[in-house]
Amino acid sequence: MSLAWVLTLGALLFSLGIYGVLARRNAVLVLMGIELMLNAVNVNLIAFDAWIRQGNATGQIFALFIITVAAAEVGVGLAIVLLVFRRRETINVDEVNLLKW
Amino acid sequence: MPAIDYHAVAPELILSGALIAVLCVDLFLPEKRKAWNSTLTALGVLGALGALFTLVGERRTTFGGMFVLDSFSLLFKFLFLAVAVVVVLMSADYLNDSLRSSQGEFYFLLLSSFLGAMLMASARDLLMLFVALEMVSVPAFLLAGFRKTDPRSTEAALKFFLIGVLSSAVMLFGMSLIYGVAQSTNLAEIGAALKARGDDPLVTASIMLILAGFGFKVSAVPFHFWAPDTYEGAPVPVAAFLSVASKAAGFAGLLQVAFLAFGGQTTAWGPGLAILSVATMTIGNVVALTQTNIVRLLAYSSIAHAGYMLMPLGVVAGQGAAIQRQAFAASLTYILVYSFMNLGAFAVVVAVGRKRPWNLISDYEGLSEREPGLALAMLFFLLSLAGIPPLAGFWAKFLVFGAAIDSGTAWLAAVMVLNSVVGLYYYLSVGAKMYLRPAEDPSPIGVPVPLVVAIAVALIVVVAVGVFPDFFNHFAPGATLIAL
Amino acid sequence: MSGYFWQYGTIAALSIFGVAFVAVAFLFNRLMRPRKPHREKLTTYECGIDPVGEGWSQTQVRYYIFAFLFVIFDVESVFLFPWAVVFERSRNPGLVLAEMVVFIGVLAVGLLYAWRKKVLEWL
Repeated sequence: MSLAWVLTLGALLFSLGIYGVLARRNAVLVLMGIELMLNAVNVNLIAFDAWIRQGNATGQIFALFIITVAAAEVGVGLAIVLLVFRRRETINVDEVNLLKW
Repeated sequence: MPAIDYHAVAPELILSGALIAVLCVDLFLPEKRKAWNSTLTALGVLGALGALFTLVGERRTTFGGMFVLDSFSLLFKFLFLAVAVVVVLMSADYLNDSLRSSQGEFYFLLLSSFLGAMLMASARDLLMLFVALEMVSVPAFLLAGFRKTDPRSTEAALKFFLIGVLSSAVMLFGMSLIYGVAQSTNLAEIGAALKARGDDPLVTASIMLILAGFGFKVSAVPFHFWAPDTYEGAPVPVAAFLSVASKAAGFAGLLQVAFLAFGGQTTAWGPGLAILSVATMTIGNVVALTQTNIVRLLAYSSIAHAGYMLMPLGVVAGQGAAIQRQAFAASLTYILVYSFMNLGAFAVVVAVGRKRPWNLISDYEGLSEREPGLALAMLFFLLSLAGIPPLAGFWAKFLVFGAAIDSGTAWLAAVMVLNSVVGLYYYLSVGAKMYLRPAEDPSPIGVPVPLVVAIAVALIVVVAVGVFPDFFNHFAPGATLIAL
Repeated sequence: MSGYFWQYGTIAALSIFGVAFVAVAFLFNRLMRPRKPHREKLTTYECGIDPVGEGWSQTQVRYYIFAFLFVIFDVESVFLFPWAVVFERSRNPGLVLAEMVVFIGVLAVGLLYAWRKKVLEWL
């Protein structure tokens, strides 16, 4: 299997994530779209790492950092979503519109 | 196993120690003593500042080239720590009023964010850059939503979070492609590899993705929508932090990536950034004209200023080393000067907000009768933001203007002058409200000592740089990143 | 290099076979079975009891905090693996160990915070 196939998978995942972010109105689903995008990055990094075959495995370490930071981000994000839900009884991003212009 | 140069990372270590100490001490402090948190935070920041002074003039590399301490990073670290001192002084009073019981978390998050900004100034590797960027942003998301009972604040946090996380995902995708092309994550090695490779659509695409990510962080048009909403909803000291430290951190990263990693590709990103900067300053200034809330006004003004800061990056396409150095220095100086004048303006907003928490521009009517000193300080900050000659803002604009003229892109300079005129109008209209309108309620506001100190620090820098424009030249960091 | 990725080819073939097997079985089932819809038949099957309420059911929100604490500590432990690989080869194991102790100490501060804020107690 060539590198191009894996990169295509990464690009498809990334596009799917962007579609999710743009099309979904529920904040939690938007968050899931962003997770897809981050996983696409991980796929890319691991594929390049296996292709480059350096001793210090930079790509794999990078992917580990992305996984941990993504977990922290989701934690913060869910906390904020929960807070918004308690105040507004909605997590639809179109209805969260007190601040304009 | 490469040894770690602990002296080089001493300021960051002290800051980390301080933030953990604040979190732990807060857990065991009784409700009455919560104000100790701000003292502890200030001590931590001053300790880091002291450690930074022992490193002046040094050039050190550690963590396998990921962390570099040179005059560029030193300059930014001094800026971040100075901003940290002022923001802590601003918050001390703000938190005593309304958010007394959760001070520990506030300072913990604030210090974490500043730690990320410090790391950003030294990050010479994509991995380090990413970690530093997240370290700046993630605590900032929580800080924006810190007034938990106010739906505006939680909304600000949600918008900031979604856009911030999206932008870092986009940037990461660009980084992963660059890693594959250059086979390295070190910025200098990437620069060499890309220069050897020449024109390549894949490289151009990844550069665009990475720069778009930074565009979100520095709130450049068309990635600016989060900024006014977030600044308005967030606590005012946090808005000051976001518009100054977070933006400066974004620029610290942007300058390093643009000149170190993509220095050979200026024709790929230069024209794009020129258009971006024109759009940013024009939209920022025009929308600022219609604002009725002072924080939103400052938010749009800070978007416009991001446009001025980006402009020197837009003129370097295909230029020689001399112009690149000049542009680099112009952008850098603008960031430094902008930080202090904007910080000062926000400090005045905190002071006025003590009596009028809605931060409307009409609250400033007759401020010169109520608090003459405060009104005068605000006038200085506004005139400096507008770029009136004897003040610091003028020299910053002058350098950016000069870079545009010397590189032969006079149309950019013309757009900038037009924008400055628009800016002058709305800054002066706030000034006119303070001096020409009668006050509705003539009683004085009463400015507490920490706020006076915060405003004084910013004012001294703004006036001093205005009178002695050489002030920042003493640091002369322009040459360190551009090794052409 | 391509040999490395070809190893995944086996997995891909297996998954294609697995998906196809289920799809074919369901397809034949659908083609051959009698189809006589009836109101009683169309209700959701819930162990023979009449279904009550809607398909969406809510979970107690307080589970969130436990799940969340678990995820954070679980994910951070990922750094232990590369560390362990380096630890074996390092010339100065004491220092390397001390650095990991500091890392875990920082995580422990998070736990201390959660404990003092009383989120570990079942209300």
